[in-house]
Amino acid sequence: MKRIKFLSSTSILLIVICVISLGTFAAEKPPVVIGLQGPITGPYAVEGEMAKQSAEIAAQMINDKGGILDGRMIEIRVADDACQPKAGALAAMKLISQKDVVAAIQTYGSFVVLPASDVYEKFKKVNIAYGATITDLTERGLKYFFRTCGRTDTQAKFFAEKVVPYFDAKKIAIMNNNTSFSVGLAEESREALQSRIDAGEVEIVYFDAINPDETDFTVPLTKLRETNPDVFYYTGHFPEAGLIIRQAREIGIDAVFVGGDAVVNSDFINIAGIEYAKGCYQTQEALIEFFNHPEAVAFKEAYKAKYGTIPSSPWSVYAADALYVLAEAIDKSGSTDSDVIADYLRNKMEAFPSITGPIGFDEIGDRVGSSSHLYIVNEDGSSSLIDTE
Amino acid sequence: MKIILEQLLNGLTIGSFYALIALGYSMVYGVMKLINFAHGDLFALGSYLGFTLLVSGSAYVSVTFGIWGGMIAAMLIAAIGIGIAGTLIERIAYRPIYPAGRLPAVVSALGASIVIQNGIMIVWGPRPQAYSSKFVPSHMLNIGGVKITSMQIIVLVISFILMGLLFYIVQKTTFGAAIRACALDRSTAALMGINIETVIFFIFALGPALGGMAGVMVGMYYRKITFVMGWNYGLKAFTATILGGIGNIPGAMLGGLLLGVLEMIGSVYISTAYKDVFVFVILILVLIFRPTGLLGEKIAEKV
Repeated sequence: MKRIKFLSSTSILLIVICVISLGTFAAEKPPVVIGLQGPITGPYAVEGEMAKQSAEIAAQMINDKGGILDGRMIEIRVADDACQPKAGALAAMKLISQKDVVAAIQTYGSFVVLPASDVYEKFKKVNIAYGATITDLTERGLKYFFRTCGRTDTQAKFFAEKVVPYFDAKKIAIMNNNTSFSVGLAEESREALQSRIDAGEVEIVYFDAINPDETDFTVPLTKLRETNPDVFYYTGHFPEAGLIIRQAREIGIDAVFVGGDAVVNSDFINIAGIEYAKGCYQTQEALIEFFNHPEAVAFKEAYKAKYGTIPSSPWSVYAADALYVLAEAIDKSGSTDSDVIADYLRNKMEAFPSITGPIGFDEIGDRVGSSSHLYIVNEDGSSSLIDTE
Repeated sequence: MKIILEQLLNGLTIGSFYALIALGYSMVYGVMKLINFAHGDLFALGSYLGFTLLVSGSAYVSVTFGIWGGMIAAMLIAAIGIGIAGTLIERIAYRPIYPAGRLPAVVSALGASIVIQNGIMIVWGPRPQAYSSKFVPSHMLNIGGVKITSMQIIVLVISFILMGLLFYIVQKTTFGAAIRACALDRSTAALMGINIETVIFFIFALGPALGGMAGVMVGMYYRKITFVMGWNYGLKAFTATILGGIGNIPGAMLGGLLLGVLEMIGSVYISTAYKDVFVFVILILVLIFRPTGLLGEKIAEKV
């Protein structure tokens, strides 16, 4: 009896092993797996969803052309971090612990990228951020960290040198939401304005933070209204920005509303209502709808064919960019080794034609030559580029 | 002066939300000596229920009753729905483990909170939802230079009516006397012929029903609702309960309104970033001098 049991279990085991090995032989070339970390749930879910869709479109476009490394397909593996720092580090661990994940595209929100990039660095995995702009991120001397988006100091300088003169503003109110990105952008904007403040040309009449978890901002906004600003610069994120603009207009703040680069997207318009969202400005990196070179057009067409619209913020497009540069680096260097990929990205990639224009990285992993622009929200929810020169 | 008045109204509006939610915590604690951590999420559930009634069911609700009738219908249905949900939670999550003592029930309450929160996420999705402006009366009124929105008046009036009604039920009716008797001593109240089961049922229906109504009003007033909103409001309302004296119904009302006004003072005169610090410093001071809260009475510790 015992013997029969032993024999049968051994034969089952053998069959299972055969089937598994057959399966591996059948698909000759295993896919190249690239991790994508993003807020799939939580208040920032719209950004995670768009990033996932964009990266998948980009992967699809590469696979349709025959993949990389002589015919290996690209596979995206998603990890949810809900835009929380602790969950971000865990999601990074989750991706690293899967042996076939070659590199990672990570995530929306500087305060999530901060702890997550440390984890990737520790385990030597190349990680490219797509929605993390605080200046300090690349100043930490990390070897495996890159980003396809720009930096807040570029944007702060743009706000001070182009946007403020464009509106001929004398009194400026700046509000942030106490996250590292938001405080960074607010403070760098104030620093960038410092020389004109000292010359007495402009004045910062309001500078304070709100708590983004709350829903009632009428008290700080009433305080802001009494300072009579010409320009109201909000450097936080879209979920609360939609409430802020509506409550601000309802209590009679008629200042020009300018949002930072995390303020305007489809959820902002949905929460604020188009009657309040129209006429809002944003300082933003280049939006996909204003690109006309072949890579951008192809991406827009593919995205539109599948989802009926184009991404409403630039960050998800940067996720697709990150996938493109990773695929290029792996393909050209012929290796999935982290050190080789990192070296290729840092030293050998120059003006690689990607969706948002040519991409190259400098010594510390920042994208070379990113720029900021001013946009206005139109009545139909689309955006128009404003010429600030 | 006008600005101060306006800010006071802003503070009172937030405060009346806190007060309505705080009442649920306080009533349950008064009778059961249990902190119902699922209460904040029941409030969020009420908000989503109102959202579905007003936005998805608008063809029936708002068209049949008009904008005002639709609003009241949504609030009533949400109140009934959340009342039922509250009693269900008591049956499923608390009643089976009463014999095990008070602490397991608190852990069970936290579990119920997670279940409701994730349930909302599964049903309505993880993205924030917005009450459409079509179904919410929105006018800007200017009374002698003081700017106030029609929603603020509605919120204040309805909140005060609800609080007054509850105060009347608890203080003036026979059933209210039964609730108060249970709060004093449950076993003795049972010996006097009070049906404890009925009292517990009503406590767990009435508190969440108020929370559910607050949820619909929060949705209409701020328009954005998220599935995690219950946690933040729950925490603030719980703070209000402690401030006013836990287990005490007028205390919960006072605590809620006071918390709203204190937050306002903190953000106007100090800084919005530090307003919570200011509020909690005041709370600590109150607890140092009156450990049972502002209106809490000193109860001898049961041995």
